[in-house]
Amino acid sequence: MSRYPKPMARLIEELTRLPGIGPKTAQRLAFFLINQSSTDVQSLAESMLEAKQRTHYCSRCFHFTEDDTCIICRDSRRNENFICVVEEPRDVIAMERTKSFNGVYHVLHGSISPLEGVGPDQLRIKELIARIRPEVEEVVLATDPNVEGEATAMYLARVLKPIGVKVTRMAHGMPVGSDLEYVDEVTLSKALEGRREL
Amino acid sequence: MSYVSWKTEGIILRVRNLGEADRLVTLYTKEKGKLNASARGARRIRNRLLSPSQVFTHGRYMIFPGKGLHNLSQADIINSNQILRDDLEKFAYASYVTELLDAFTPEEDPAQDVFHLLAGTLSLGAEGRFSTAVRFFEIRLMKELGYEPELYQCLNCRETLVEKIFFSEQGGAVCSNCRNSFPGSILLTNGTWELMKKLLEWNFSRIGILHPAENNIEEMKKLMRKYLDYRLEYPLKSLGFLETLQAIPPQNDKG
Repeated sequence: MSRYPKPMARLIEELTRLPGIGPKTAQRLAFFLINQSSTDVQSLAESMLEAKQRTHYCSRCFHFTEDDTCIICRDSRRNENFICVVEEPRDVIAMERTKSFNGVYHVLHGSISPLEGVGPDQLRIKELIARIRPEVEEVVLATDPNVEGEATAMYLARVLKPIGVKVTRMAHGMPVGSDLEYVDEVTLSKALEGRREL
Repeated sequence: MSYVSWKTEGIILRVRNLGEADRLVTLYTKEKGKLNASARGARRIRNRLLSPSQVFTHGRYMIFPGKGLHNLSQADIINSNQILRDDLEKFAYASYVTELLDAFTPEEDPAQDVFHLLAGTLSLGAEGRFSTAVRFFEIRLMKELGYEPELYQCLNCRETLVEKIFFSEQGGAVCSNCRNSFPGSILLTNGTWELMKKLLEWNFSRIGILHPAENNIEEMKKLMRKYLDYRLEYPLKSLGFLETLQAIPPQNDKG
């Protein structure tokens, strides 16, 4: 028998479904919410529902938006002929934090993973190919530097290069602020391969 | 159960994300066979397990046994097998090899020969010889696990096979008189029959110098596909990606 009243037990159970939230954290969050004013809790519940109902994918780049196209695709100051390909919407946010990219994005919503049965057809690759018009100057592949991300980048290079567009890959290297002796051999050899003249 | 950590040589077969920053790795080890272990924090950029917990990596791993799941505590890379991740065909073939091994082997059932077979296949594949390496791996894995296809005597009448041989997914070769008892059996050409016998019997160093004809490799591929599907009863996921790749022209993936 549960130690909690039914509504609270349900809240704990629902919170446990969130990523990174275990039973203990869910209990703490539930206690916190119960102690808040009804207005605050209602506001939180409404914001969750509103975000879910009003957020969908941009018809051009598949980033999150509440309109037909996202704020980046609508921005006339951005270079729409420079496309950065990322795996997930959160990668767009990470790239935007750099404040050094002035192009537009294309979100694939995943990466190729043969062992999980995720192939190119399950990603937004056809939509990317449809965006490559003759005016497009460059496509930079910013998929994750892990096995699946690299495979996705190699696959994209294969299908995009024959179209005649310039395809580039994000550089691999050592993390800024790290010590060389602690960097693993794969990263170090990639960094050596991608060295540049000063 | 002993809770003392041990060191083992292993090859990573599969990696899945676990929680916020951990990885669940399936590795085939020399001493304990296949096992699952969690690599804590292995997705964080400065974690020492980040690189050694990548798929196909051959390394020396320190395992700390847990009640449910083992923990990977330290690792040294012997061969990163980066070459298998830098080329799309090699990546697809290596994924197939590791998935096949994962599908056929139970956990913690040690078989050193299987470990050496995997390491040898990946190294032959890294040299760009995956079409032979994969066929070698398939037939030898079956042999090591006790599913060796019969190639010398008819499955039904036990007559020594000489010519007009057919291959059945149910266990290997059958003679022309018995083929009707094995629906779906396919004619086995002499060249493919010889190739299968060599891949089944020769030691690894000789396989490296074997350069089989493309048509024999293709024929064996079809036969072994049916044979493996019959044993496994479900299709392997990595095969779909291999087929997708064959539809687009290859190029130098490193640019």
